[in-house]
Amino acid sequence: METSESGLTRREFLGLTGGVIVFFAIPSELARAAGESEGGEAPSFNAFLRIAPDSTVTVFTGKVEMGEGNKTALAQMVAEELTVPFSSIEMVMGDTDLVPWDGGTWGSTSVRFMGVELRAAAAEARDVLVEMAAEQWGVPPSALTVSEGRISLTSDTRTCVALGELSEGKEIRRALKGEPKLRPVAEYRVVGTSVPRAEGRGIVTGKEQFVADVRIPGMLHGAVLHPPSFGARLTIADTSRAERVSGVVEVVREGEFVAVVAERPEIAREARQSIRADWEEKPHPSMASLWDDLRSTAELADTVTEEGTVGSVLEAAERQFSATYQTAFVAHAPVEPHVALASWQDGKVTVYSNTQTPFLQKDDVAAALGLESGQVRIVVPRVGGGFGGKTNPELAIAAARLARAVGRPVMVDQTREEELTWNYFKPAALIDIRCGVNGDREITAWDCDVYNCGDRGAEPPYGFANRRVRSFGCDSPLRQGAWRGLAGSAITFAIEVHMDEVASEMGEDPVEFRLKHLDNDPRLAQTVRAVAEAYGWTPRRAPTGKGVGFACGIDVGSRVAEIVELEVEAKTGLVHVSRVVVAQESGLVINPDGITNQIEGGIIMGLGPALREVVHYENGRILTDRYSKYPIPTIRDAPKIETVLVPNPTLSPQGAGEPSIFPISAAVANAIFDATGKRLREMPFLPARVLAATAA
Amino acid sequence: MAERKETVSFQVNGVERELKVSGSRNLLSVLRHELGLTGAKYGCGVGECGSCTVLLDGRAVRSCAVPISAVAGRSVTTIEGLGGEDGLHPVQEAFLETQAFQCGYCTPGLIMSVVDLLRRKPDPTEPEIRDALAGNLCRCAPYPRIIRAAQLAAAAMSSSGERHGDK
Ligand code: FES
Ligand code: FES
Repeated sequence: METSESGLTRREFLGLTGGVIVFFAIPSELARAAGESEGGEAPSFNAFLRIAPDSTVTVFTGKVEMGEGNKTALAQMVAEELTVPFSSIEMVMGDTDLVPWDGGTWGSTSVRFMGVELRAAAAEARDVLVEMAAEQWGVPPSALTVSEGRISLTSDTRTCVALGELSEGKEIRRALKGEPKLRPVAEYRVVGTSVPRAEGRGIVTGKEQFVADVRIPGMLHGAVLHPPSFGARLTIADTSRAERVSGVVEVVREGEFVAVVAERPEIAREARQSIRADWEEKPHPSMASLWDDLRSTAELADTVTEEGTVGSVLEAAERQFSATYQTAFVAHAPVEPHVALASWQDGKVTVYSNTQTPFLQKDDVAAALGLESGQVRIVVPRVGGGFGGKTNPELAIAAARLARAVGRPVMVDQTREEELTWNYFKPAALIDIRCGVNGDREITAWDCDVYNCGDRGAEPPYGFANRRVRSFGCDSPLRQGAWRGLAGSAITFAIEVHMDEVASEMGEDPVEFRLKHLDNDPRLAQTVRAVAEAYGWTPRRAPTGKGVGFACGIDVGSRVAEIVELEVEAKTGLVHVSRVVVAQESGLVINPDGITNQIEGGIIMGLGPALREVVHYENGRILTDRYSKYPIPTIRDAPKIETVLVPNPTLSPQGAGEPSIFPISAAVANAIFDATGKRLREMPFLPARVLAATAA
Repeated sequence: MAERKETVSFQVNGVERELKVSGSRNLLSVLRHELGLTGAKYGCGVGECGSCTVLLDGRAVRSCAVPISAVAGRSVTTIEGLGGEDGLHPVQEAFLETQAFQCGYCTPGLIMSVVDLLRRKPDPTEPEIRDALAGNLCRCAPYPRIIRAAQLAAAAMSSSGERHGDK
C-alpha cells in the first residue's frame, strides 16, 4: 500500500475533492493497453472508486451495461465489502471523460475480472479508513469493527463514525497493491442475494434513455449512402435531387463517404434513395460454395493444443470415428440498432454511442477524423443488447463527420435493414473431428481441426491423453467478428455431438460416457451430475425415441450442462423444444436471479442459430435484412427452463453471460437424434434438413 | 419537393394535441420526434418487432405502421402514460417483480402488448400469452419471465377488480 502520486494524478477526473479514492486495474487489460499504445502513455489503472465525505460511494468504470446486469452485480460487490446498502452505490460507467481507460465490455469480463478487482479496491478503502480511525482513537485496527457502513470500537460500539466522515475533506489516494482481506463469505448480506436492478423502474416506465432517445437542441439526422454490394467503389454520385428534398439540410460528401443530413431520420433516408450513384462492383463468391471455399483457402493459424501422440494412437485404436460439423453465418440482430449522436463544441466532439468498447471507439473516431484523442468524448448510455456485435465504430465516425460538416449535432440512426447488412457476423464454422476409442470404450486420441471461427472453446473439456487441436484461418465471404461466446458455441456443438455419436455407437449412456472422461475436471463432472439429478436422468442408450438430449461445456471459467426435451414433427420436420434443464457452476454467485436471467436468455438465444437463423447472401448482398427473413426466437419458441446453480462460493465469481449458449445446440441435435435416430451435423436444424435426414 | 402538411388532433396520454405534420408520417416518428415521447422504440420500422407498440383507443398497434392521419380524433396511450402520475400499472409492477427484461429496449412495447392482452382476456392461458406476444421480439430473450409477468399481472388485476389496463 502506498499513497499514490504521479502515476495516478495524470488525469483529472471530475475535479473530485475529498474522500478516499482507490485506483485499481485489471492487469491483463492494462498489459494489452500497454502493448497497443506504441510509445504513448500506458495507463496505470483502469477504474477507481471513491468514498465521499458524505459516505456516498461512486464507482468509475469504462464497462457498459447492455442488459447483462453487470451494473447491479458490481455495485453489490462494493456494497458488500463496505457493509453499506446496495442503494448507496452509484455507478459511473462508459463515459470516456469521466472514467479511466477500459478495454471494453465483452467476454464476460465485468464481474470475473473487474468485479474481483473492484471488490479488492473496496476492501482496501475500508482498511484505509479503519487505520485512520484506529489512529484517531489511539487503538490498534484490530480493536475496531466495520458494520452497516460505520467503524466502531468493538468493545464499545457507541464510539463510532461513518466511513466517509473520516476523510474530513482531505483527499486520500491509494493504488490497490496486493490483496486486501475480504469479508468472509459466511457473513455476506448483499452478495448472493437477488437484488433487483436499480434501472428497472426506468425501463418499465420508458424513462431509461438509450442513445436514440437522447435529444440535443438543433440536432439533425444523417443517413449514409451504402454501396449496392460489399466492397463496391463509388464512381459517380449525383446528389442534386436529394438536396432539393424538403427537410434536407445538406448532402455531405467526403471522398467516397456520402450522407444526407435532414430534419428527421425518415427524410434523410428518403432523400438518400434519390441519390443517383454509379458503382464499380466486384465479383463475390457464391453461398453455395462456402464450405469448399473455406477449405481451399485455409491456412494454419494456431495449434491450440498438442499432447501425446495423436497420430499413432488414432491408427492403433480399436475403433475410429470421424465427422465434420458446420455452422452458418449468424447475425447479432439486437432489437436496438446501432446509433450515434455527435455534437461539437470548441473543437471537441462528444459522441453518444451504443458501443461495447467506448475507449477503442474514441481512438477510432480520433484517427478517422484526424483528431487528438483528447478531442473525442464517447458517452455510452444503456445499450440495448450487444452480444459481441456492438464494437463497430462506423456510425460514431459518420456522426462525428456529419456534425462537423453541418455545424450542428447529428444523429445517425441505422434502419433494421442496415443493421442486418452492414455489421459483421458470427463466422461460419467448419469443424473436423477424428477420434480413437480403446477396448475399455474410452477415447484415447482426439484430433480436431477448426476452420474460420477462431478457437475459443476448442480445447475439449475432457482429459483425452492424446490430443491435437488446430485452428485454421480462411477467406471469409462476409465480414465477421465477435458474437456471444465467439467460436465456443460452434465448437461445443461439434465436440458434444461427436461425444454423443461415439457414446451411442459404443452402446454407452451419454451422461456416463462424458463422466468417464472427466476425471480431469471435477467441477464439470459435478455440474453434469447436478443436471442429471435435477432432470431425473436414467441410464439409456440413444436413440430411445423420446427426444431427450444432453450436452455440456466450459466457458469463461464456468461449467455448464444441459438436458433438452423436444418433439420432432414427422410431417414438417419442425422441432419444438419444450423443456431445458440446466446446471451451471460459476464460482461465487453475486446475484442468483441475475445469473439465472442470463442463463435462460443464453439458452433461448442459442435456439435461434440451432433451429433457424442463417444469414443468406448473394453477389455481395445480404438477403436476410429483415426480421421476417431473419427469424430470431420469439416467445413461442421459449421452452420451460429449470436452472440449477451449482454452489461453489469459495471460488471467485466466473463469467456468467455466455456459458449457457455453448451446449444448447448440441443438446438439441442430440435430442433430435434421440427422437429420430438421425444425426444432424449442420446448424441450423432447418425443417428441410430434418426431413432429408429422416427420409434417408 | 414540398411535404404536404395537415393539421391532426388527437389525445396522447390524456392530453389534447394538435400538430401540423405530413399525414403519411407514422405515429412512432411523431411520438419520438415531435412529442418527446421516446418510450416507444424503433426496432424495424415495418411492423415486425413490436418495440414501438402503443395503445390506440385501448388496442395495441405497431406505431411505426400507423400513419398519423389515421390517429386523428383518437386517443393514444404510450408507456409514459400507462401508470399515470401516481405510480405503476400492474403490468409494469409485474415486469419489475419478475425482472422480465435484460437490456430493456423491447420492454415498453411488450408491456403495452400485455396490457392489450389482459383487456381482451383477463385470464389468459399460457398459449394465449405466447400468441399475443409472438410479435414482440426480444433478443435478450427472458421470455419465460415475460410469461410469468403476464400471469402475475392477470392475477393482480383480477383480484383488484381492475380489468381495463388502458384506464
Ligand atoms: S419498430 Fe414498429 S414493429 Fe418494429
Ligand atoms: S430485453 Fe433486450 S431486447 Fe428485450
